[in-house]
Amino acid sequence: MSFFQVNENCNGCLACVQNCPASALDYKDQGNRRKILHNMSLCARCGNCWRVCPQKAVQFHHLLSGQWQEVATMELMRCVVCGEALYTTEFGDKLAARLERSIDPLCPAHRKSQPLKVWGKIFASPSPENKEVTQ
Amino acid sequence: MIVGKMKPFDEILSSVKRFKNILIVGCGSCVSVCLTGGDREAKALARELSNPELFDQSAPTLRVETFQRQCERDLVKEYLKIHPDTDAILSLACGAGVQTLSAVFEKLPVIPALNTSFLGALDEPGTWREKCVGCGDCVLTSTGGICPIARCAKRILNGPCGGSSKGKCEINPDLDCAWQLIIDRLKVLGRIDEYEKIMPLKDWSADRGRGPRLSQKAANEPFD
Repeated sequence: MSFFQVNENCNGCLACVQNCPASALDYKDQGNRRKILHNMSLCARCGNCWRVCPQKAVQFHHLLSGQWQEVATMELMRCVVCGEALYTTEFGDKLAARLERSIDPLCPAHRKSQPLKVWGKIFASPSPENKEVTQ
Repeated sequence: MIVGKMKPFDEILSSVKRFKNILIVGCGSCVSVCLTGGDREAKALARELSNPELFDQSAPTLRVETFQRQCERDLVKEYLKIHPDTDAILSLACGAGVQTLSAVFEKLPVIPALNTSFLGALDEPGTWREKCVGCGDCVLTSTGGICPIARCAKRILNGPCGGSSKGKCEINPDLDCAWQLIIDRLKVLGRIDEYEKIMPLKDWSADRGRGPRLSQKAANEPFD
């Protein structure tokens, strides 16, 4: 979904295209269709398009509070005790390489205060104590 | 935002006349929005400068680029690619952008095409007015959100002066008296008692009397 959106009032008059100070709006006439184009990387979000539109068609709020867009997805490491999100696998690998040792996926609290319980949690059967930590 | 105004064409022309390959660089931020230094203005300036009659011999080769933010040194260094023949850069950015290009392209002359004018805001379509002088010690809390430093000709802190008449300033009948605006606004806010207080001496040491100012924040180093 584009951040620049117009409602059904848009009649393709090109007032927005002609008045965009950042040249972020353009149009294409192909066959019997007119297309209005917007380039987000050029847009200065000054609001001039919204200001000059005689049809009140520019839905500028999308440019002020648009939706988040997912840019990457990767594997996440969590604390083995409490499950708190720590860092991505790639980040952990890079950190381990810099430290020249393996690192345990533990949150700061469990890394400092309960190392023995952690090992118990990882390698032994669950004890009531560890259960408490997990909760 | 930063508001700039295009220099007189003759001044620009005399600054670039001795060069043969000029890169004209618009800036995609503030000066685009105030219609003085964006892509359109850069292209229009190139069209004007391409007239061979303006030059003793032939017109210089003119290239046009518009960079989103000329004031980001590392971005400019990485992404603003210039033709190897370029012998001068004509920048349509504010003074900060011009100086950033100078710092990055240290062997090339960087010529400003704009006069950087003020920190302002759009009051009505096509009209930007000065709102802030960047004094470094903001008084807007006690002046109802209207700056007497930027908007009063005398910059007085306890106004208005005797030159205020019917809400206008004596230096220009079209100019609102900033102190009249402040009083009106304080009335609206129900805080006219603020006006009765004598404002103490302002800390002008935060202004630029001690040379260029600095703002530092802890920034993350790149991981590598």
